[in-house]
Amino acid sequence: MVSKESGLVDEIKSNFNISGRAQREQRIFISIRTQDLIEISKWIKKHGYIHLSAISVTDWLEEGLYEIAYHAWSYKDKILITIKTQINRNNPKIKSVSTIWHENAQIHERENHELFGIEFEGNNDLEPLFLEDWSGPPPFKKDFDWRVYVRSEFYTKENERELAYYD
Amino acid sequence: MVKRSEKATKMRKLIRAIWIFNWFNSCGFAELVPLVGSRWDMERFGMIIVGTPRHADVLFIAGYQTLKSIKRAKRVYEQMAEPKVVIALGSCTMSGGMYWDSYNTVKRLKDYLPITMYIPGCPPRPEAVFEACEKIFQHVKELE
Amino acid sequence: MIEEIKPESVESAYDLYFGPAHPGSGNFGVKLKVDGERILLARADPGYLHRGFEKLMEYRSPIQNAVLSDRLCVLESLNWNLIHAEAVDALMGIDIPERAKYIRVIMAELSRIQSHIIWYGVLSKGIGFDTGFKMAFGYRDYILDLFELITGGRVYPAGYICPGGVRRDFPKNSTDKILKVLNKMDKMIGLAKIENPTLKARTKDVGILKKKDALRLGATGPVLRASGMKTDVRRDDPYSIYDRFDFTIPVRQEGDSYARYLIGIMEMIESKKIIEQALKELPEGEIIDQSLKKLKISGKIPKGEVYVRNEISRGEAAIYMVSNGMGTPYRAKIRGPDFLHMIPVLEHLLKGTQIADVPAVYWSLNICPADMDR
Repeated sequence: MVSKESGLVDEIKSNFNISGRAQREQRIFISIRTQDLIEISKWIKKHGYIHLSAISVTDWLEEGLYEIAYHAWSYKDKILITIKTQINRNNPKIKSVSTIWHENAQIHERENHELFGIEFEGNNDLEPLFLEDWSGPPPFKKDFDWRVYVRSEFYTKENERELAYYD
Repeated sequence: MVKRSEKATKMRKLIRAIWIFNWFNSCGFAELVPLVGSRWDMERFGMIIVGTPRHADVLFIAGYQTLKSIKRAKRVYEQMAEPKVVIALGSCTMSGGMYWDSYNTVKRLKDYLPITMYIPGCPPRPEAVFEACEKIFQHVKELE
Repeated sequence: MIEEIKPESVESAYDLYFGPAHPGSGNFGVKLKVDGERILLARADPGYLHRGFEKLMEYRSPIQNAVLSDRLCVLESLNWNLIHAEAVDALMGIDIPERAKYIRVIMAELSRIQSHIIWYGVLSKGIGFDTGFKMAFGYRDYILDLFELITGGRVYPAGYICPGGVRRDFPKNSTDKILKVLNKMDKMIGLAKIENPTLKARTKDVGILKKKDALRLGATGPVLRASGMKTDVRRDDPYSIYDRFDFTIPVRQEGDSYARYLIGIMEMIESKKIIEQALKELPEGEIIDQSLKKLKISGKIPKGEVYVRNEISRGEAAIYMVSNGMGTPYRAKIRGPDFLHMIPVLEHLLKGTQIADVPAVYWSLNICPADMDR
């Protein structure tokens, strides 16, 4: 008895080159190649996945990759699909999906551009969102250690009340 | 006749009831707005919330400050007229608190504004705020 | 996409900044381009409360994160506690005891009622109805006293809903006390349901959001239900034990501020029904899973990834947690409903309204800047 979720995974596999599976009822995780992103997104939006829940970025420092995940929900089928793709960490560029999910995708990409430094090609509104006059590196990268930064910038060892922050 | 400085005489005449300009950041909102409500009615002590810094005596800084919002708080402080008092509420405001390792919060508020009174707590209860206001009246009485 | 209106074409246009020091704006600013009384363009200015919450969670273990997670949005701390605990439970593969499941639902629904009372209060204050404001904050204190009795804190419950169950059991006679507080809520809902001509005149036909715009801009929760779409995460994507309870989902078709206000009142009634059913069925037993009974800070989270969705009082909230086998989560992405409501939806709704209607539109969206900035 084939469940709805594994039926959908098989249908996508027959049309595109992906790898993935259904994790449990109502959750599917698939990994795709970066060049297929726009085609697959158009395909699933046509099949009812009109709500983009989030766009998230994970920084895998040792492998040198950023893994970008698009989470989309269908009100008809009641399934959540997560599409993951990987790009190079040193010069991160990817096409924008704001032609497909409009303002919803645009604001998520603007946040990830500020916090991770990714260029989204085709998104014409990438101004800074949360920070004003910030001149350091993109804050959420794994090689920017906050505890080291805070100890050198804000606290001082001469104040004996702040010594506790140094161990 | 006790001889007092000019500032002390002015403060004794003007501060009988405190008018507050609120700068409630996140946590301050949930514990200071009930002070205006009907259970801990602060209007019976003469304290009201005003809409512009020119009318206010006290600036209540409640909740953690970030680098973006402390600039606006400083401008509001400069627009208030003398005599004025700053009260800092909550442990994240005074010393970083739970966000001690965040890159964007202000860790030592006294580097930016002169603070008269600190109220610790996470968040402090409404009774603590009333006790702090009583101590201000006491402090003004003893000024010389 | 945001359109640009060239200032040369409208000669009398000027800039107005509705900023954070305004008493009626919360911790959030909006830049407006205004011509006379009509708004031409609105641009949101977030970031006054940004602390980098997601990366703070990467330095702390799950037990420490349970205490941190109630500070995501101060107005509904137990709901955020619940979603974080569910994410860690799913990663660790724990099935929590039955009594803990019922206690979690009761506390989350009480927190939802308390958050809707705040919504009613600030909406009334924003449009000039001061009686509603004082009444709302007076009745809210009954629920805060209950929280203090059960969890120990009025506003922040110190990680009461933690991974594995709940921290401590209900004290004696709490069931009677909860039922008494719910009777008082009945009185308040009765007073709020009276058709008030002031409220109606100021919010009817103001800030109309059509269904296809709401779906395109990413709205969820009461804002989407007031525009005609019948959806609720507790029904469509059930989490915890919500599939055992019997409650309806209120929907309205008009999409204006008055419809959003009415949905808030009706949802309070549904939450009350859920709490009464849960209290009747509350079983005896353990309240925390045996493996996490002695709260260890040094446990390890198994490798994996999980995406948990919940319905908090403002809309759909989600956490995407990735772990690589260490003691702290490798990445915890938090999706809050206000990120979409305060930037794309607000900019769309403010275009074309008058300046005097801005509070009626702004406060009817039930905003919380802390969970937008994180």
